Amino acid sequence: MILDVQDLPDGFSLDADICIVGAGPVGISLALTLATGGRRVLLLEGGGPAPEPDSQALYRGQVDAAGLHPSPDHYRERRYGGSSTIWGGRSMPYDSIDFETRPYVPHSGWPIDLAALSPFYGEAVRLCEAGRDAFTIETAFDTPRRPMIEGFDGEHFTTNTLERFSCPTDFGHRYRHKLEAAEGLQVVLHANVTDIRRSETGSEVTGLTVRSLAGRQGQVSAGRVILALGGLETARLLLASRIGERLDAVGRYYMCHIAGTIGSLKFTGPRDSVWNGYDVADDGSYCRRRFALRPEVQRRLGIGNFVARLHHPRIPDPRHRNGILSALYLARPIIPYEYGKRLYGDEAGGLGRWLAHAVNVATDLPATLGFLIHMLRDRRLAERKYPSIVIRSKSNSFSLDFHAEQVPDPDSRVVLTDEVDALGMPRLKADWRYGRADVETVSRSLALLAGDIERSGTGRFDYDPASVESEMTRYGAYGGHHIGTARMGSDPASSVVDADCRVHGIDNLYVAGSAVFPTSSQANPTLTAVAMALRLADHLKGSQP
Amino acid sequence: MTKRILVLGGDGFIGKHMVSALAASGWAMPVAAGRRARAAAPGTERIQLDATDAAALKRALDGVDGVVDCIAGGAMVDVARNLFSSGIDVPVVHLSSMAVYGSAVGLVTEDAPLKADTGPYAQAKAEAEKLAAAYPRAVILRPGCVYGPGSTQWSLRIARLLRARRIGDLGAGGDGCSNLVHVSDVAAAALAGLRLPAAQGRAYNLAMDGAPSWNDYFLDFARALGAVPIVRLSEKRMTLESKLVAAPLKILEILAGKAGLARLIPPPIPPSLVRTWRHEIRLSPARAEAELGIVWRDLAAGLAETAAWINSVAA
Ligand SMILES: Cc1cc2nc3c(=O)[nH]c(=O)nc-3n(C[C@H](O)[C@H](O)[C@H](O)COP(=O)(O)OP(=O)(O)OC[C@H]3O[C@@H](n4cnc5c(N)ncnc54)[C@H](O)[C@@H]3O)c2cc1C
Repeated sequence: MILDVQDLPDGFSLDADICIVGAGPVGISLALTLATGGRRVLLLEGGGPAPEPDSQALYRGQVDAAGLHPSPDHYRERRYGGSSTIWGGRSMPYDSIDFETRPYVPHSGWPIDLAALSPFYGEAVRLCEAGRDAFTIETAFDTPRRPMIEGFDGEHFTTNTLERFSCPTDFGHRYRHKLEAAEGLQVVLHANVTDIRRSETGSEVTGLTVRSLAGRQGQVSAGRVILALGGLETARLLLASRIGERLDAVGRYYMCHIAGTIGSLKFTGPRDSVWNGYDVADDGSYCRRRFALRPEVQRRLGIGNFVARLHHPRIPDPRHRNGILSALYLARPIIPYEYGKRLYGDEAGGLGRWLAHAVNVATDLPATLGFLIHMLRDRRLAERKYPSIVIRSKSNSFSLDFHAEQVPDPDSRVVLTDEVDALGMPRLKADWRYGRADVETVSRSLALLAGDIERSGTGRFDYDPASVESEMTRYGAYGGHHIGTARMGSDPASSVVDADCRVHGIDNLYVAGSAVFPTSSQANPTLTAVAMALRLADHLKGSQP
Repeated sequence: MTKRILVLGGDGFIGKHMVSALAASGWAMPVAAGRRARAAAPGTERIQLDATDAAALKRALDGVDGVVDCIAGGAMVDVARNLFSSGIDVPVVHLSSMAVYGSAVGLVTEDAPLKADTGPYAQAKAEAEKLAAAYPRAVILRPGCVYGPGSTQWSLRIARLLRARRIGDLGAGGDGCSNLVHVSDVAAAALAGLRLPAAQGRAYNLAMDGAPSWNDYFLDFARALGAVPIVRLSEKRMTLESKLVAAPLKILEILAGKAGLARLIPPPIPPSLVRTWRHEIRLSPARAEAELGIVWRDLAAGLAETAAWINSVAA
C-alpha cells in the first residue's frame, strides 16, 4: 500500500517490524525483499511522487571553499524513486581487489570479500534491469564479438570487461505495482525523518520523528530501522541525531570518483578495426567494453583502480569539425544541468564559437541528421535508452574518458552547518578532498595505457602529463556518487557499521547504500549498493527477533 | 487388459496430445471423439460425435472405462451437464482452467475460492467445474498456460508476436507469472488421474514449479526462436495495442478466417491478454507433484522442442 503522510492524523504513530527510510533504488529493493513472510514493513519517503521544489530545497547545503563539489541539491533527487529518477544506469560490480586490504591504499580493506556479495549481484542486476550478471564479453555473449581494438593486447590493461546499462530504470515507477501489492508493506510519502531517538544507554533506537513540509508530525517505532537515504543524507541524519559523535567517523572518508576526459587517441587501422559502440545483449540491454587496469598491475605499482573509455573529442571546441558534436553544442540549452556539466564544462560560449559550430553542422549535414534521428528513435522515444553519445570516428580519433578510484581520506568529509532547513534540520556542508594518491592513480594509469597502445602497434595516445590534475578536477568531484560516509569496518574508531551493515553499538540500526562502502572502486556504485542491500535483507530475514 | 478411454474434444490441441499419450501408455485404447469425420490415428479409435447431443453422448459412453473431457469453448458447460448427468460410473478427468481463480493473487492452492470474476470464459469454466465437482469420480485439472507443439495460444501466437517485436521485455507489464505447463505434463496428469482412485473427487493445479514471469518466458522463448535481441516496450505502447489496434485486428482475423487466411493477419493483443501478463498469480504445483507424481518438463527442453515445431509450421 502507498499512502501520503497527509492521510494520517497529526500526531500519528506507526509501528512495524522493520522501518526503511528512503525510497530510492536501495530502499525500494530492501522493501521488495523484506515485505514477505508476514513481516510488517514500513518504507518512509520524504519526497512525493513528482519533483517538488520545496522537498528538493531540503537538500540544499554548502560546499568547500574550492567549490570542487557540486551544490548538495544537485546530483540527487528528494522524491519517491530517489536519484534513480535521473540516473544514467551504468552498472558493473565491484572488483575482487576493491575488497582487499591494500597496504598502498590507506584505510582500505572491507570486512567482507567479493564472494560474500556475489550471490546477490544476479538479483541486483535484475532489479536494475541491466540484463544479467555477466560482465565480460565472453560470458555475456554466446557468439564471439568483434574486438574493441583489433590487435590490442595490453600488458597493463584488459578490454574484455563490460559495463552494462539499466533502462535506466526509475525504481519508483518500475516497482510501484509491487510496492502497492506487497502484503504487510506500507509506503508513506512526504514522510521526512528528522530525528532518530534512542534509549537512555543509546544502544537501541526507540523511535523516529517524522515530519512533512505541510505540517504533519508523527512517530514511528520499529524493531529494526534501516537508513537508505543516499550517501550524503544518511550521514546528515546520523550526525543530526548525534549518532557516532564520540568516535567521529560519521561523514568522514567521503569519496566520489575521480573522472575526466583527456588527450587524443588515434588508431592506425581501418575504421572497422576499432569498436567503440555498444553490443546489445539478447535481453536488449546495452553493453560496452572499456580499458580496465589489471589488478596485478595495481598491486605491483601501488595505485588505485582505474578504467577508461573511448570518448568523442571535447564538444565545445569546434575544431573537431564534427557536425554531430556541434549539434550537441547548440542543443546546450535543453540538456539537463547534471548531464550538461561534463559535456560542456563551464567554458563561456560566445557568438564566434556558436557560429563555428553552426558551420560544422551545415557542412556535415547528413551525418548530423542521421544522428538526430538515431537519438530520437533510440533514446528519446525508446523505453530502453541508448546510453550515451557514441561517434564512430571516420579517422579513428578519440579522446579518453577515465573513471578512477578515489582513496579514502578521513579529512574528506561532510559536516553539519549552523543553517537549518524548513524542517529544522541542520544543513550539510560537503568538504570533499582529493589527494596525491588520486593524481598518481590517474597519471600512472594514463602512462601505462599510452605504453600499451604504443607497444601493440595499434595507434597512439597523446596527452599532456602536466594537465592530468587539472583535467581530473575540471568538473570537480564526480556528481551523484556519494561513498564512504558511514563506512563498514570492524573497528568503531574508523568505521560506522559492522560487516552486517549494523551501526556499531546500536542493536537495531542499519545502513544501506554506498555510504557503507569503505573504498570506492572504479565502478559506479548503484549496482553494488543494491546487491549490498539484498545481502542485508537476507541477513535480517535469517535473524528474526 | 487395455482400457477404453473416451477423449471428448479429441481434435483440439490438448485432446490430440491426450489421445497420443494414452495410446503410448500401453494401458489404454483411446477413443477420440470429434465433431468431424476423420480417420483414426494408428493405435487409436475414432468416433464422430457432437457431445452437446445428450443421447449421442450417452451412446458413446457405453462400454468405456474412463473419460477425458477436453472440451473448450462455447459447448463446455452443455457437454459437462450431459456428461455428468448421463449416469456413468467411471473415472472422468475434467479439464478446467486456472481461470476459475479469477483475479486472485499470490500463491494459489487448490483450496482457494473459485472467484471466476474475470469475464464470461472464467464463469463458464467455473460452471462446468461445479458440475464436475458434483460427480464423485471426477478428477479436476486446472492447467495454467499450456504451451508446447500445437499450442496456438501460448506458443504460436507468442512466437509471432516476438518475431514482430510486438512483445518482448514488457517491464512492469510482464511481471506476472506465466504459470506455464507443457502439454505433455497435462496429458501425464490426466493419465495419472484416470489410474489413481485416490485422485477422484480432487482438483489439481497444473503449472510447472518455478514457472517464469512472462518477461522471462518471452526472453527464453525468443532465444529459442532466434528472435533476439528482444525489445523493451512501454506501457503506453501496450495500451495502444490493446485498446486501439486489437479490435480492428480481431475483425480482420475473423474475416480472414472465413476465407481460410487467418494466418496472414497479425495476432491481436486484446486487453485481457495485457492483464494476464501483469497478473501476479502463481499456481501452487505441490499437490500435482505429490499426488499425481508429475515431474515437470524442463522449460529449456520444452521451448527448444516448441521452437522446432514453430519453424516446421512456418515452413
Ligand atoms: C545524474 C546522475 C547520474 C547517475 N548515474 C549513475 C550511473 O550511471 N550508475 C550508477 O551506478 N549510479 C549513478 N548515479 C547514482 C545513483 O543515482 C545513486 O547511486 C542511487 O540513486 C543511490 O540510491 P539510494 O537509494 O542509496 O539513494 P537515493 O537515490 O538518493 O534515494 C534516497 C531516498 O531517500 C529519500 N530521503 C532523503 N532524506 C530523507 C529523509 N530525511 N526522510 C525520508 N526520506 C528521505 C530521498 O527522497 C530519496 O528518495 C547517478 C546519479 C545522478 C544524480
